[in-house]
Amino acid sequence: MRTIHFTLNDEAVSAQAAEHHSIVDVLRDRFDLFGARESCAQGLCGCCTVLVDGTAVSGCLYLAAFVDGKTVTTIEGLAQNGKLTPIQEAFLETGATQCGFCTPGFVLMAGQLLAAHPDPDDEEIRHYLSGNLCRCAAYPEIIAAVKLAAGKLRAGRL
Amino acid sequence: MTPFELAEPKTLKEAVGLLDADDPTVRPIAGGTALMLMMKAGVFRPSKLVSLRAIKELTSIEIVKGELTVGATTPLAVLEHSEAVRMHAPVITRALRTLSNIRVRNVATVGGALAHADPHMDLPPVLIALGARVVVQGRSGARTIPVADLFAGYFETVLAKDELIASLIVPAQDGRRAAYLKCTTRAVHDWPALGVAVSVAADGKAIKNASIVISAATETPMRMSAAEKAASGATDDAALRRAGDAAAAEAELISDGQGSAAYKKELVRVYVARALRAALGAA
Amino acid sequence: MATRTIGSGQVGRSVPRLEGAAKVTGRAEYVHNIRLPKMLIGKIFRSTVAQGRIKSLDVSAARALPGVYRVVTIDDVKTVIPNPLYGPAFHDQPILADGKVHYIGEPVAVVLATDPYIAEAAASLIEAEYEELPAVFDEIEAMTSAAVVHDELRPAGTFPDLKHLKGKKNTNIALDFHLRRGDPGKAFAEADHVFEHTFRSQQVLHLPLEPFVSAAELTETGLTIHTASQSPSFVRIEIARLLGWPENKVRVKVPYLGGGFGAKLYIKLEAMVAALTLLTRRPVKISLTMEEQFYTLTKHAATFRIKSAIKNGRITGRDCEVWWNGGAYADIGPRITQKSGFTAPGPYDIDNVSIDSYSLYTNLTPAGALRGFGIPQLVWAYESHTDMMARALKLDPVEFRRNNILRDGRAQATGTAMKDAAIEAVLDRLALRMNMKAPFDHGGGTVKRGRGIAIGFKASISPTTSIAIVNVAADGSVTLYCSTVDMGQGSDTANAQLVAEVLNIPAESIKVVHPDTDVTPYDMATLGSRSLYHMGHAVRLAAEDAKAKLAALAREVGVPEGANVPVAELFQKKYKMQAGNIIGTGSYIPSYVPPDANGLTPEATPFWMVGGTGAEVEVDTETGHVRVTKLINVADVGRPVNPRIVETQLSGAAVMQFGFTMQEKIELDGGQITNASFADYKIPSIVDIPPVMQNEAVESEQGSGPFGAKGVGESGTFGVSPAIANAIEDACGVRLTELPLTAEKVYRALRAAQGKPLEE
Ligand SMILES: Cc1cc2nc3c(=O)[nH]c(=O)nc-3n(C[C@H](O)[C@H](O)[C@H](O)COP(=O)(O)OP(=O)(O)OC[C@H]3O[C@@H](n4cnc5c(N)ncnc54)[C@H](O)[C@@H]3O)c2cc1C
Ligand code: FES
Ligand code: FES
Repeated sequence: MRTIHFTLNDEAVSAQAAEHHSIVDVLRDRFDLFGARESCAQGLCGCCTVLVDGTAVSGCLYLAAFVDGKTVTTIEGLAQNGKLTPIQEAFLETGATQCGFCTPGFVLMAGQLLAAHPDPDDEEIRHYLSGNLCRCAAYPEIIAAVKLAAGKLRAGRL
Repeated sequence: MTPFELAEPKTLKEAVGLLDADDPTVRPIAGGTALMLMMKAGVFRPSKLVSLRAIKELTSIEIVKGELTVGATTPLAVLEHSEAVRMHAPVITRALRTLSNIRVRNVATVGGALAHADPHMDLPPVLIALGARVVVQGRSGARTIPVADLFAGYFETVLAKDELIASLIVPAQDGRRAAYLKCTTRAVHDWPALGVAVSVAADGKAIKNASIVISAATETPMRMSAAEKAASGATDDAALRRAGDAAAAEAELISDGQGSAAYKKELVRVYVARALRAALGAA
Repeated sequence: MATRTIGSGQVGRSVPRLEGAAKVTGRAEYVHNIRLPKMLIGKIFRSTVAQGRIKSLDVSAARALPGVYRVVTIDDVKTVIPNPLYGPAFHDQPILADGKVHYIGEPVAVVLATDPYIAEAAASLIEAEYEELPAVFDEIEAMTSAAVVHDELRPAGTFPDLKHLKGKKNTNIALDFHLRRGDPGKAFAEADHVFEHTFRSQQVLHLPLEPFVSAAELTETGLTIHTASQSPSFVRIEIARLLGWPENKVRVKVPYLGGGFGAKLYIKLEAMVAALTLLTRRPVKISLTMEEQFYTLTKHAATFRIKSAIKNGRITGRDCEVWWNGGAYADIGPRITQKSGFTAPGPYDIDNVSIDSYSLYTNLTPAGALRGFGIPQLVWAYESHTDMMARALKLDPVEFRRNNILRDGRAQATGTAMKDAAIEAVLDRLALRMNMKAPFDHGGGTVKRGRGIAIGFKASISPTTSIAIVNVAADGSVTLYCSTVDMGQGSDTANAQLVAEVLNIPAESIKVVHPDTDVTPYDMATLGSRSLYHMGHAVRLAAEDAKAKLAALAREVGVPEGANVPVAELFQKKYKMQAGNIIGTGSYIPSYVPPDANGLTPEATPFWMVGGTGAEVEVDTETGHVRVTKLINVADVGRPVNPRIVETQLSGAAVMQFGFTMQEKIELDGGQITNASFADYKIPSIVDIPPVMQNEAVESEQGSGPFGAKGVGESGTFGVSPAIANAIEDACGVRLTELPLTAEKVYRALRAAQGKPLEE
């Protein structure tokens, strides 16, 4: 056991974690954050996605001990005061969420994509999201959502 | 996963000191992407992990005397987006694009991608084709090992348990052109069923000499020497196909969930020729 | 997809999902999120042999591990549930293996601890010794094999057509369905041509991203089960039966599901967590891993031998023999055998038909319902067969189908007359959107191109009951109570739209209460695309009942008809304050006539689902790699209640079947699954799906459906596999008869066609 200190969704926090605990374990058990959840447990589906120092990682493969001193953002940290981000709005409006289990991962990855490529084409979207799985197969809607969000974000920047 | 001790040394030397030549339950951990999988599956239950994450001296990308030097804990994503890497050996940049996914590349390291020694990995054949080598740090000092000699078998390297990969060195390519083709059979993005890396010295479309490496379908990445011989002096497409035939004849292939050995032989035949074509067309 | 609203404008509108905001912010409630005070976590120790007697079970090392609370075996379970066998069709599945194991991966013992890592480590310390017995894995071999999975058959008694199997020994046949119509023998004797082919569908599985998860806790009044289930009412009844309790002592609560696809039907972990909670008097939760889903439920592998008689371009006779690989426990397999047996000859007008459909026990993970309930396996065969015949007869594949399809009013194989089944419209739209009349560029060099189509249909589930309650509060706000489970298909939103349509209020204003058997009324289950039709009827009736009662209230308080007084005022007038409720109820059970001795019935189904797919492919003839470049899905969904959700259901279903067609397969080595993970069992990702995908619902209306609607969750699956196989033959001249259509199979077929077969 050790105590880890980190910034979680803009708040300085600390928590007890065993060396073998993943960041998903800690978010769930110590902070009641369920939006990053383990599904494949192999880095393949993205259901456990969190941002560590602004970069997306698979929480299922990330030891909690390694976030000590770092910044962690989860899906719950995106919407401020209940106001959805443009990406979240776009997922909602295009029907890009069905069962919703994969959705946090896709939303977070879409955020990474749009930060790097504000106006992505289909190819770039597919490339970026190829490491996220959706068994409901909302893929066409997810592509549409990313494009819609790109437009919203560009309009917001003007 | 079962409990273990986690050490976080600040220097390479300290890290080597924490390893144990005789205890297989003590291992270095870099990105942890491969180790976590093994621990979750219960195939590896460590007593102690030595994290390389706090070692600052292992994270640089530099050109030294015309050679590309990459610190072992450099994340694959950093390698992928490095301008120095793209200038020096663009085949590495291209190969990384379909290596696993963005989240894994954000975390997985160069050292891990070499030391893990899963024959299905994408970088080893590429680095072998480029003539790369690793600098390895042990208790009694450093030694250099060509990547071609690093792999002892399935998930096995020649490293001692208390040795660490410190850096990777990719020599100057001197106008050689390279290509890597990843053939998947179960899905578009997957571990390769066959990886083919080639590097050619060529005059226009005439190949002077070629380095041809196949992986994934074999127990370790393998140089295809008969194919290399067949390719050298090749001036037309028929010669490239002969190189493919030579590789198909010499490769020792494994049947598994990604395909039968007989089928992979045909893939080798086709992909070696295609990779040579791609290299000739590549910058 | 076009918007076609009616009346109040609520039905036919693409209302965004009611729970969408909760899902995109990661705050939607799943059983995953549940943590109960003093909760124990269970980890399962599983069998490593396919068929065997348990000689010994050593749990001492597990028990000794610090932090382990208890290790439970079947003997412990029997102290709280003396007869621990469950199942919807057969009571054949024990909560933990009882003396014998029947497949690799079967639960044998459970470790309980508060720390899941400790429970898991302890489970790996358990050791079992087995006396191995002969096992059978193949459905055809299971018909006659000396290896018999169960010593004795134990039908549940719920279904009359299974009664005759009670107590049967020495057989693996868990149901045989036979249908005879007309005189097939004569048809074959008089035919111009007879074609016979055999097709095989591989074993695949659902793999919702939320794996199976259930938790149980004891309360003052009984037992509460929180579970990711598609059938809360069934869970309550079955758990009550196992415990010998009245239904009202068992409470089953279901929040959102992270996908279901048929996996989470009937009982999965619920009986186990119930037993563990009763044993320990503490809450118990079990969350399976992705790997463990492979040891829980699969889709039936199937072999289908189909034979047709052709005279003057018409199909005059058809013999169908289907063998379903049911795995070690029947689950709902026997129902699949029968219900899909109804439509095995396909959507064709054939006077002389014989069908023999067998549900077989084997020593594999049990198989159950999966999106399509057996139909995709059948369409795969009959639509490949249709194309092969058209090709052999040099007939246009669209025209050959058009000459033979069932039209409304004509009797289908069971004798039931077709009604509101837009088969021809689906075929026409598909042919049009695929531009089948136009010449096609078949490519050149080493890359060949091809196109193909396929159509299929399905009968719905009957007779099954749904009940709904609509509650109007004193301020006029409306709440819907029903036990339909929203597992991603959008049922909450669609049901709200039905209520909204009747009451003329915005769908977004309606609250839908999630299944909670203490609160929401009975529903048979969320399966077989029945929710919108069956529950939709009940919901509409409940809303109409509420509406009638509101009108009565208005009369009672002296408001003239059509006065348009707000609902809140009516309550205010009656109760002199904001108080009271109006409760509308609705209940629906479609009519059904069970098949007679010949398998015939005038009423096989309340409605027909129709779906078709067109595919264009590119085949790399040097490697066999197939790229599906275009996939078009057309379906008859009646009137789309929510066009966007309809579209996403069609495309989601099609992509799922695309995975089953191109890449998914459970690999087995002597009964051991060798690819039980996403690393080795590849479901489609965003780079696998065809770059062009289009979905369309044809103009149609289900006369008997709520506002003309019918189910849509499965129709997108029907035609995908054969359309792609047909396109592959069109591209490069080879025909595959076994799924999945891997590159290696295509390559081998190409080599065989060149007379240079590749060695094994
Ligand atoms: C979902 C997923 C998909 C993947 N797909 C691909 C793919 O398509 N192609 C591909 O090539 N790879 C793929 N990989 C593998 C990936 O490349 C490896 O997991 C990664 O490179 C390992 O790096 P790491 O830093 O995380 O290693 P770790 O997990 O930290 O370590 C891996 C091994 O290397 C040892 N090690 C680490 N660093 C050193 C060092 N400096 N010196 C000595 N030993 C060291 C460790 O002790 C351990 O044995 C995939 C992985 C995942 C999780
Ligand atoms: S659970 Fe981590 S990527 Fe799937
Ligand atoms: S919405 Fe269900 S898995 Fe993506």
